[in-house]
Amino acid sequence: MPELERQVAHPGLYRASGEQPALIGQHCTGCGHLAFPPNPYGCEACGAQPEALEKRELAGAGELAAFATVHLHMGGGIEAPFTVGVIVLDDGPAVRATLTCPTDDGLAIGDRVSSVLVSQGSDDEGTETVELRFIPHSSGSAEDSRVRGEA
Amino acid sequence: MARTLRELRPVRVVGIGLHRYQRAGDTPYVTLGLTAVREALADAGLQWRDVESVYNGTAMLGMAPTRPMLRHLGATGIPMAQVENASASGSTAFAQACLEVASGISDVALAMGVDKPGPMAIAGAKAGIRDLVGARVAPFTHFALLSNEYMHRYGVRPEQVAQVAVKNSRNGAANPYAQRQKVRSLEEVLAPPQISGTLTRLQCCPIGEGAAAVIVASDDAIRRLGLAASRAPRVLASVTRTESVYPGAKNFDAELTSETTSLAYEQAGVGPQDLDLIECHDAFAVEELLYVEAMGLCGEGEGAAMLANGDTAIGGRCAVSASGGLLSMGHPIGPTGAGQICELTRQLRGEAGPRQQPEARTGLAHMVGIGAVCVVHVLQRD
Repeated sequence: MPELERQVAHPGLYRASGEQPALIGQHCTGCGHLAFPPNPYGCEACGAQPEALEKRELAGAGELAAFATVHLHMGGGIEAPFTVGVIVLDDGPAVRATLTCPTDDGLAIGDRVSSVLVSQGSDDEGTETVELRFIPHSSGSAEDSRVRGEA
Repeated sequence: MARTLRELRPVRVVGIGLHRYQRAGDTPYVTLGLTAVREALADAGLQWRDVESVYNGTAMLGMAPTRPMLRHLGATGIPMAQVENASASGSTAFAQACLEVASGISDVALAMGVDKPGPMAIAGAKAGIRDLVGARVAPFTHFALLSNEYMHRYGVRPEQVAQVAVKNSRNGAANPYAQRQKVRSLEEVLAPPQISGTLTRLQCCPIGEGAAAVIVASDDAIRRLGLAASRAPRVLASVTRTESVYPGAKNFDAELTSETTSLAYEQAGVGPQDLDLIECHDAFAVEELLYVEAMGLCGEGEGAAMLANGDTAIGGRCAVSASGGLLSMGHPIGPTGAGQICELTRQLRGEAGPRQQPEARTGLAHMVGIGAVCVVHVLQRD
């Protein structure tokens, strides 16, 4: 297998490899506030300046707190229907992300979910784009689109 | 010492006017705005030269729309400014006009809103911070997620949420200024198209065009100009809050509304039990349930039962969105918050005709705007 070039759809928000890719959050050394996504400006909780903020990996595992299947989508990049969720990460912050299942069949609040990288296709140079989504543990619908993480 | 509105000199609403909210069309925004302002002047019994200051809530027209519109009333040289605070633009225009009169800087001020649908370039998208979903979570999906969580937490069914739109369609049908003036059955509200989650089209507000105008005045001006004090409810409280940091997946919309409303009750010296009317930010059906609970009208999770009992209908304990709300009266953005004040004033005067809430004395107007902001006003007739 030749090494394929790979890029992430959201640079700086998650690792591009691994079985349950970590999300990249931000820890405030001033007050301990943990945020996702990271920002270059200052802490929302205490106002500490950027130098007080450090990157902090957040495990790609958590619990589904809410979900909705979107039937009307004006933007590009994805075809409706798709399903988004609010995930409370085991490491604390709540994040909104796209789920691997297009519809909410069989989903329930409280489901365990974990992060996976899903291929968004490749460009002419053969560079593949991968996007982080969350897979519910009650479903196997993402198996086909999952990208193998490098050990 | 900082002081609240009520500790300054009294501010009263002396005139109201609207241009019907409607689907976007060819009507110039100047026509929309002038229609509302002229109606408000006639309602108050004022001349344009009596107005000393203007705040115009608008979000979609572009830079500097106000003077090119109002010069056609006769150029008087008065201060004018556009106010943008997302969906709460008209509410913030009203807040500014109230503060100006309360402080004694002006005796008579106009708060208005006018808008026509146009490019909505949300600055937050240019903040240089990306998240995982971007445009995949449009406002309707934000509320579809809240709806999903709410229904799960309290065991509420989608049709109970949809009843908000049924009730507000009845109210809107009795409002000649409403964009949607058709009574809808539960079946019609639940009918496709599905937009997001359990939200159907009729559980989302229409964004059209329109205008609303409110003239506020001091007691000095009311005496000097011979206005009808009996038709001029007092503004008891004006409170604006912005979102802070809430733990975990907490529903920040409801938290923000709860905080803002609590402060408004405190400043006005009233409680939820004193409210006869609420004009509520019901851009999406579930919001009305979330907010009546956040405002303390009932306990957590009891909003749907309160609606089912008729407590929030016209004639009930507290009429919520007698105008039809954003769901039926419509949400042209800039005018919406000012239009809420028009409705409360009309109701508190006892001039609301077929949608009159009996013996209405105290009303609350509530708007939220992305960003996120929340603006609450309390009005009371003497």
